[in-house]
Amino acid sequence: MLEIKNLHVEVEGKQILNGIDLDVKSGEMHAIMGLNGSGKSTLSNAITGRENYNVTKGDIVYKNDSIIEMEPDQRALAGIFMSFQYPTVIPGVNNTYFLRAAVNAKRKYNGQKEYDAASFLKLVKSKLKEVDMDSKYLKRAVNEGFSGGEKKRNEMLQLLCLEPELAIMDETDSGLDIDALKIISRGINNYKDKNRSFLVITHYQRLLKYIEPDVVHVLIDGKIIKSGGKELALELEEKGYGWLEQ
Amino acid sequence: MNLNDYQTEFNKLIAQQSFSSDSHPQRNNTFSKFLDSGIPTKKWEAWRHTDLSFLNKNNFRVSRPDDSQIDSIDISNYKIANTYTIIIINGYFIEGSSVLPKELKVSTYTDKNNWNPKNKKENPFELLNASLSDSNIAIVIEPNASIEKPIHILFLCTGKDNLMINPQITMDISRSSSATIIEQYVSDTSSFFQNTSVFASIEKNASLNHIRIHSNSDETANISGLHVTQSDDSNYNYFQLVDGGALQRSDIYTDLEGKNATCSLSGLTLLDKKQHSATYITSDHIMPQCESSQNFKSVLNGHSSGVFNGRTIVREDSQKTNSKQSNKNLLLSDQAIMNSNPQLEIYADDVKCAHGSTTGALDNEALFYMQSRGINRKDSISLLIRGFVSELINDIKSEDLKNHLFTRFDRWLLNNNQ
Repeated sequence: MLEIKNLHVEVEGKQILNGIDLDVKSGEMHAIMGLNGSGKSTLSNAITGRENYNVTKGDIVYKNDSIIEMEPDQRALAGIFMSFQYPTVIPGVNNTYFLRAAVNAKRKYNGQKEYDAASFLKLVKSKLKEVDMDSKYLKRAVNEGFSGGEKKRNEMLQLLCLEPELAIMDETDSGLDIDALKIISRGINNYKDKNRSFLVITHYQRLLKYIEPDVVHVLIDGKIIKSGGKELALELEEKGYGWLEQ
Repeated sequence: MNLNDYQTEFNKLIAQQSFSSDSHPQRNNTFSKFLDSGIPTKKWEAWRHTDLSFLNKNNFRVSRPDDSQIDSIDISNYKIANTYTIIIINGYFIEGSSVLPKELKVSTYTDKNNWNPKNKKENPFELLNASLSDSNIAIVIEPNASIEKPIHILFLCTGKDNLMINPQITMDISRSSSATIIEQYVSDTSSFFQNTSVFASIEKNASLNHIRIHSNSDETANISGLHVTQSDDSNYNYFQLVDGGALQRSDIYTDLEGKNATCSLSGLTLLDKKQHSATYITSDHIMPQCESSQNFKSVLNGHSSGVFNGRTIVREDSQKTNSKQSNKNLLLSDQAIMNSNPQLEIYADDVKCAHGSTTGALDNEALFYMQSRGINRKDSISLLIRGFVSELINDIKSEDLKNHLFTRFDRWLLNNNQ
């Protein structure tokens, strides 16, 4: 599904990623763990195509095609989704309207009939239950006046509506209370299947109590220095990152 | 146009004898005051940011009654659904095409000599309007009348180029009455200069929704003065849309002369190419317990420029005043310029006043967020701009008018997001 080969990424003239290799197969869940500043978010931004994240060497291959020259919306239409660490507030743009525009863009791309307002509302209301979100958030502007937990639920709601094949969860767990954490984890677990992959980026082992990654990678100074099973996360929790840096 | 040209046009108007000669001495007197003051330059504080070069470079002539004899005009393009319509063509009231409610009285110069200008502010364009005013519409809403359907005054410039039109509108909203009045300025001629003065008097417990739409063609100059006085418990809601014209300047004065009155002013300006639009407001709190708000937004593209100058005065006796000013501007090009200047002058001590101003480019974070959900860049930009302006248009109560404004906005957006 996703193959990252010797990826080097520069942000505003500063080299952040120094040769990342990653192979995420269909149906797999990979966790990327690392301290602040290790390059975790740079990796997710490079995959989704954020401006000023320049690939200087290496490649990102999604479903056998290189995507590094593609616009962010083209990557999204191809099936890549990122749950933002800090979801953006968009004043004046209604949450439901925005979500329908996104879902319809994808349906158009896939040659499917677009939703009208009424049929979309039905769909979104059924998804709301899965993330335990109040329908009042549909009427607001995108993320405006949402608490941290509500923003993350809204990201999860978008994921459920857009049905991506590769979902990148960027620090989804940071700042969440335990109830919200459980809801988001449940959402991830229900969504995952043999054709859908997850890349979970996190600072803490906390989220990994509720979801089961197939592979855990440790990122330090823009390089993956160790990969292993779930037990690696537990080891990190116990010993910290220091023992890996030597 | 220089002062000699204005003099020539003034002489022509007097010689036309389309109005009673009784008003000539007063017109002469007012016109000589205009000549004394001259056309503002950038050295005048209140005109520092207003570029009048379009006006100075072009020549215009006063309109004649026969300028309204246009054979084929299709006004259906400009109509707004579910409104009464007052049609003014090239400065003249077209009675046969107008449809009016029975509660409303319209009088014009052609009925009788009612030249009695109230232009009192020391502004050369007000003096010019008073001395040259050719089309006068006096609207009187009777006491206790509640007119549900909006009254649409359509100023149409058509068929003749380079006209100089000086409309005056008086709106008397009598005690405990309510109405919605739409002033719309449209044109299909290449060039003209329209200089308008509007006087609205909102009496006790009366309410006026006032909408002004400036949608003129690119090579036109539109200058307007709006004077509003409010009595006790009155309510005034004003919204302006500017999406046309080379030069547009509005000077708005609202005098809160009664207690417990509410005055809400808002506007949306959409500019591109080399358009210039300036809005100058003075909200004067003279009596206590009044509320006023100013909420203006601009979207500027190309080499356009805009000015927002909002001034709120809270006088010594106007305790318990509640006033807000907000000006937000979106710059779509590096060459566009906005001057924003909200000002508060407070002389009372028990008041709530707030003001704020922001000017910036499109939010790249928001654009990336939208694109990361599969919406292409162009559509993301449209959504963001629509989000920016929709708050203002959504506040308009009439659905037909709201649709009309959104249609105008969408048309503008189509040309400015390619």
